[in-house]
Amino acid sequence: MDVDLRTRVLPARRGRWMPAARWVPRIGGWSVAGLTALLCIFLFVLPVMVVALSSVAEHWSGTILPTGYSMRWFERLGSDDWDAVATSLEVGFSVALLGTALGLWIALSLEGRDRRGMGAVVDALAMMPNGLPSVVLGLAVLIAYHKKPLDISGSAAIVMLVQLALVLPFCYRCCASALRPELQILREAAASLGAPPARVLLRVVLPQMVPALRASVALGFALSLGELGATLTVYPPGFATVPIVVVGEVERGYYLPASALSLVLLAVSLLALCLIAARMPGRLSQSKS
Amino acid sequence: MKNTMSSLLAPKVSDRVLPQGGTHALNAGRRAKRRSALLANLNLAAIVVVLGPLIIYPLLRLICLSLSGTHGLSLQAYQTFFSNPETRGVIGTTLAILFASAGLASILGVLIAALLFFKPFPGVRLLTRFLELFVAFPSFLVAFTLIFLYGSQGSIGILLQRIFHLQQAPLNFLFGSGGVILAEVIFYTPFVVRPTLASFATLDMRLLEAARSLGAGLAMVAWRVVLPMAWPGIAAGTILCFLLTLNEFGILLVLGSAHLVTLPVAIYAAATVDLDLPTAAAGAVVMLLMSLTLYAMYRRVSRRGSRHGR
Repeated sequence: MDVDLRTRVLPARRGRWMPAARWVPRIGGWSVAGLTALLCIFLFVLPVMVVALSSVAEHWSGTILPTGYSMRWFERLGSDDWDAVATSLEVGFSVALLGTALGLWIALSLEGRDRRGMGAVVDALAMMPNGLPSVVLGLAVLIAYHKKPLDISGSAAIVMLVQLALVLPFCYRCCASALRPELQILREAAASLGAPPARVLLRVVLPQMVPALRASVALGFALSLGELGATLTVYPPGFATVPIVVVGEVERGYYLPASALSLVLLAVSLLALCLIAARMPGRLSQSKS
Repeated sequence: MKNTMSSLLAPKVSDRVLPQGGTHALNAGRRAKRRSALLANLNLAAIVVVLGPLIIYPLLRLICLSLSGTHGLSLQAYQTFFSNPETRGVIGTTLAILFASAGLASILGVLIAALLFFKPFPGVRLLTRFLELFVAFPSFLVAFTLIFLYGSQGSIGILLQRIFHLQQAPLNFLFGSGGVILAEVIFYTPFVVRPTLASFATLDMRLLEAARSLGAGLAMVAWRVVLPMAWPGIAAGTILCFLLTLNEFGILLVLGSAHLVTLPVAIYAAATVDLDLPTAAAGAVVMLLMSLTLYAMYRRVSRRGSRHGR
């Protein structure tokens, strides 16, 4: 009955035989979507896959795919390479933690202030490294701290300092975006029930911000691991990070060892992202809805 | 604004209503409020004290060094930087590379975002997550992988050679402006795709359907309905893309050749190869002005966009 009615009222449209005029655009739509997918994979996914593929290649030049696969480039990673990995990890973790702490502090202090006067100045300052060329910031830090009154150009501190400045805007924005109006209501409720500010912070605000803090640490870590321009400008001998070693090898033409080391870098960075931020997406989408 | 208004108004009203004891309590409350405001300002001052050595002090030292000559103020360093034969056309080169790659990346990014949003296919969510992760992918690594793909002995060149039965590998453009532009387009397109997708997501789809049902063609809907509404997000993404492309260094280090010198490369070379810090500082100050101008634009546009969105 129902079916009869529909076929009578809407002939051809819902029927099994669609006219060509409706088929053609649908095929067109599919092919457009397919082309988009191919283009995206070709442009964005392929480079990431190439790092993985080239690091296990026996030899890859003048052929479409590598000729032979082996782990020998990983086995040949020398003590210099592992030193660079250790330096990168050390710097990355300190920068991520310091950046998150500083970002959290700024975000909490600026929350609820209208963006004028002091608040605007602090906000602009904290976000400024986002717009600075990394080489320029590196050069500025090198000029400021390479001789007296304060000379830290011989230690890893100068690398951490410059990376901290570069990572800060991301951490700050991560924390600030977690301070939603709902959280303000919770804070006021806790305060009106007599909780002192420190307790409100520790028991109400921070637990609510855990996903954002984890995201901030993960982002800071990943950005620090991949930072090149500023680090290359300031790094003291003996404190080369992985990107510096990789670029050095690429410039000398050692492509396959370089890609083995970059794969180690990518794996560490991805592992950290997964470990730190594994539960972030679900929590974030929950809190948004 | 609203907060300060209410705190100003509330005591006045209650002054009249409450008896003597109430005003005492109110005065105490006002004092407490003033104290907390003072504390908040002190806190902000402390943040400035922490950010000082991190950002302000180095930049001030940079500017001072670039302006200091043998006898006080001078523009000697700027002259040296721009008269160096290797870096003479450096601003022209920088701008040419910038407009070619950031322009292409912006157009491609908006196009890809539109296709992903309006013609979704299975796996779009995965792809957008991947594009979000792309931000944490170092740019020099993208440039490096292109050597395997588009280098003179790279797979795509060899593939083309096999298909068209050529004598030689057809691709030989990577180390130079072509390769730099290609790498920058690949790396910075996702930076346009993400904000554009976000601003498409806030579109009111009913308006699009209304336009379609009133007979507007696809092009007209895109041009007259979607673009004006999504404009703030697209503008913010495009300016960000220009800013980041201007500041790019790693890609040029890997793929740039000796005659492709942009500002960051020239600054780096002056500082670490020539060991001439004042000259490098002069170039850095010029670069600083360019990027901070772009960054101020970005902040203005993105703030207007977020206010618009709400």
